[in-house]
Amino acid sequence: MTHLALFMLCLAGFAALALGMERTQEDLFGRALTSATVRRLRVAGWVVLLAALACAVRAQGWSLGLVSYSGHTSLAAGVVFGALVLYGRLKPSR
Amino acid sequence: MLAKAWARRPVISRIVAAIFGGYALAALTSVAAVSLPMAKPEAVLTGLQLSFLVYALAVIWVFGARTAKRAWAGLVLAAAPLLLAAFPVWLGAGA
Amino acid sequence: MSAGKAEPAEPGLPKGQGIRQSMSDLHIWAGLLVGWILYAMFLTGTVSYFRDETSQWMRPELPAQHQPPDSAEVAERVAATLATVAAASSQWSIGLPTERSNIASAFWRNPQAQGRRAFQSGTFDPATGQALQVRETKGGDFFFRFHFDLHYMSPLWGRWIAGFCAMFMLVAIISGVITHKKIFIDFFTFRWGKGQRSWLDAHNMLSVFGLPFHFMITYSGLVTLMLMYMPWGSDAAFKTPVERQAMTSQMSAFVPAGKPTGTKAPMVPVADVVRQAQERWGRDNIERVTINNPGDAAARIVVVRGEAGRVSVSPQYLLFDGVTGKLVEAKDKVGPAAETRGVLYALHLGRFADTVTRWLYFLVSLAGTAMVGTGLVMWTVKRRARLPDPDKPYFGFRLVERLNIASIAGLPVAMAAFLWSNRLLPQGLAQRAEWEIHLFFIVWALMLAHAVLRPARRAWVEQLTLGAALLVLLPVLNAITTQRPLWRSIAEGDWVFAGYELGLWALAALLATLAVRTARHRPRARPVRKTAPAAQPSAAAAVGEGA
Repeated sequence: MTHLALFMLCLAGFAALALGMERTQEDLFGRALTSATVRRLRVAGWVVLLAALACAVRAQGWSLGLVSYSGHTSLAAGVVFGALVLYGRLKPSR
Repeated sequence: MLAKAWARRPVISRIVAAIFGGYALAALTSVAAVSLPMAKPEAVLTGLQLSFLVYALAVIWVFGARTAKRAWAGLVLAAAPLLLAAFPVWLGAGA
Repeated sequence: MSAGKAEPAEPGLPKGQGIRQSMSDLHIWAGLLVGWILYAMFLTGTVSYFRDETSQWMRPELPAQHQPPDSAEVAERVAATLATVAAASSQWSIGLPTERSNIASAFWRNPQAQGRRAFQSGTFDPATGQALQVRETKGGDFFFRFHFDLHYMSPLWGRWIAGFCAMFMLVAIISGVITHKKIFIDFFTFRWGKGQRSWLDAHNMLSVFGLPFHFMITYSGLVTLMLMYMPWGSDAAFKTPVERQAMTSQMSAFVPAGKPTGTKAPMVPVADVVRQAQERWGRDNIERVTINNPGDAAARIVVVRGEAGRVSVSPQYLLFDGVTGKLVEAKDKVGPAAETRGVLYALHLGRFADTVTRWLYFLVSLAGTAMVGTGLVMWTVKRRARLPDPDKPYFGFRLVERLNIASIAGLPVAMAAFLWSNRLLPQGLAQRAEWEIHLFFIVWALMLAHAVLRPARRAWVEQLTLGAALLVLLPVLNAITTQRPLWRSIAEGDWVFAGYELGLWALAALLATLAVRTARHRPRARPVRKTAPAAQPSAAAAVGEGA
C-alpha cells in the first residue's frame, strides 16, 4: 500500500464523514439528505478510515504504520476542510 | 496599585497554586511512583512520564475550580495519598 | 459545571464564571505569555525535520551522495584520524553518515580538561576520514539546537525556558479542547467568516486537524528533558552513580569507559567489528561507533544501531572486546516504561521517518506554527475592535502587536538571513560558524526595531515581503556563489539540493501570499461604540462556538 493510496483512502473517508453532516449538505446541495443516506455515508466514512489504518499497519508494521496513518489522516482532514472552504468561497453567494 | 493587587488576590492565589502547587504535585507523583511494585528504573521512568500529565491536569483543576480556596483544597487532597506513598521512598525503605 | 448563579461572585472573577469561560481565559493567558517563544520553537522545530538536508545545503563543497558510504569503512577512517588527533583520549565516539547526512562527526574526551570542556568535537569527511575542509558552519544543527537550547545562554537556562513554554502549551491545548464544546464536529462546519471570526476559524482549524500531533509533540518534548525538569524521583530512588546507571542504561547507549589497564594492546580493525553489526541490522543501519580506552588492553567498541525500521530511540547496541573483536554483550531490550519513553522521544524527533512521512511531519508541524501565530494575531484583532482610541492603544496592546510582527514575520527573515550568510561570509573568516549565527540574531533584532518604528500594518507587509524576497533569491544566490545551481541539481538527480531550493521557493510563495493579503486587507469600519456591553460576544461564545 503506497503512501498515495493510503492518503486517498483517508481522503475518501473524511469526505464521506463531512458529507454526512447537515451543514455540509446544506452548503453543497442546498438541503439535507435522507437519514438513510446520512447513515450510510457515516458508516462508509468510518469503515474506509479503519480500512486505511489496517492497510497502513499491514504495509509498514504497527509503529511505522500508526505514525504514517496519523500523518495521513491529519493531512486528509485538513484537505477536506480546505476544499469545503474553497467551495464556499468560489460558489456565487445566494 | 496595591489595592488592585489586593482585589486580585484570588487570581494571584490561583496562579501560585497552578505554577508552584502544580509542580509540587507533579514532583510528588514522580517520587511516589518509585514505590510502585516494579524494578526501580522502571518505576522512576513511569513516574517521570506521568508527572507532566499530573502537572497539566492540576493547572486545569486550579483554574476550573469554583473558588481559589477550592483550588488549593483540591491540590492538598490529591497530594495526601501521594505523600503517603512518597514517605517510604524518602526514608529509603526497602529496595 | 454551569455558571453558578446562586454562588457569591468571587472578587477578581466575573460573576457566573463557567468552566468554559475560565478555560478560555486560561487558554488565552497561557498562549499569550509564551506565544512568541513558542512560535520560535515551533518554527525552528519544523525546519529541523529537514536538519540534515539544511546541513547538506550549507556545505555545498561536499558532493551529493547517492548512496551512503559503507559505515564500516568510514568508522575505520575516522578512527585512524582520531588515533593521531586524540591519541591520549579515553573515549572516541563517531557518528556515521546516513541517507540524509553526508558527513561523519565525532566527539572525544579530552583527558586534560574537566566539566564542559572535557569533550571536543569535529566533523569529518566520510571519504577520507580527515577533518572537513569545507566552510565552517553549524548547518541545520543551529535551528535544531536553538529549538530547545535557545542561544546566548547556558543550555540549562534555555532548556528550562523551553520546558516552561512547553508546559504552558500543554495547558493551552487541554484548556483549548475543554473550552470548545463540539470540537471535532465543529471542525467540518467552520465557516470562513470575516474579520475577527476568520482568524478564530483559522486558529481553530489549524489546532484541530493537527491535534494528535500537537499534543504528542508537546508531551514528548517534555519527556525528552524530563530528568532535568523532574529529578526528584530519580534522586530519591538512586543514592549512588552505580545505581543510577541502572536507569541511564535503559535510556542511552552510552557505555562509560571503564578503568584502563595501562597495558597497550593493538586494537582490532574497527571495520571488522562494524561489519558484524551490519550483518545483524543492515548495511546502512549503523548510527554510532564508540571506542572506549582505544589502544589499551581493556579497549571496548560499542556499535549503536541506526534509526531505520523502528519507532524508538531506546538503546540497542553491540558491545565488543576492542582487542579480540569478540561480542561481549548485545543489548536489544529495555523495560516497558523505558520503551515508552524511547517511543515518545522517537516520535518527537521523527528521525525514523521515510520521505513522505517526513513531509507529513513538516506540514503538520508548520500548521502548528501557524496555529500559534494565528492565536497571537487573533488577540490583537479582537482587542483592536474594542480600543477606545484606536490611534493610542494601551501599552500592553502595542507590546503584543509589535512582538507579533517581530516574531511571526521577523523570524522567517532572520532564518533566511542565516542561509544568506552561509553563502556570503568569506571562507577563511575566524569563527565563521558563530558569525552566521550572530547575523541571524542581528537581523532578528533589526526586524524588532523595524516593527517598533513603522506603522503596524506596513511593518507586517514589509517584513513578510522581505522574507519572501530573501527566500526566492536564495537559489539565485546559490547559483552565483557555488557550482550547484538548481538546474544542475535537477539534471543530476540531486534531490536533496533541488528539493531544498524548491522548498525555499514554496515557503517564499507562502510568505508572499500572506504579504499580499495583509496589504489588501481593509479593516472594517469601526462600529459606533454605543451598543450595550451585552451585545459584545463573550469570549466564551467566541472561542467555544464553532459556527
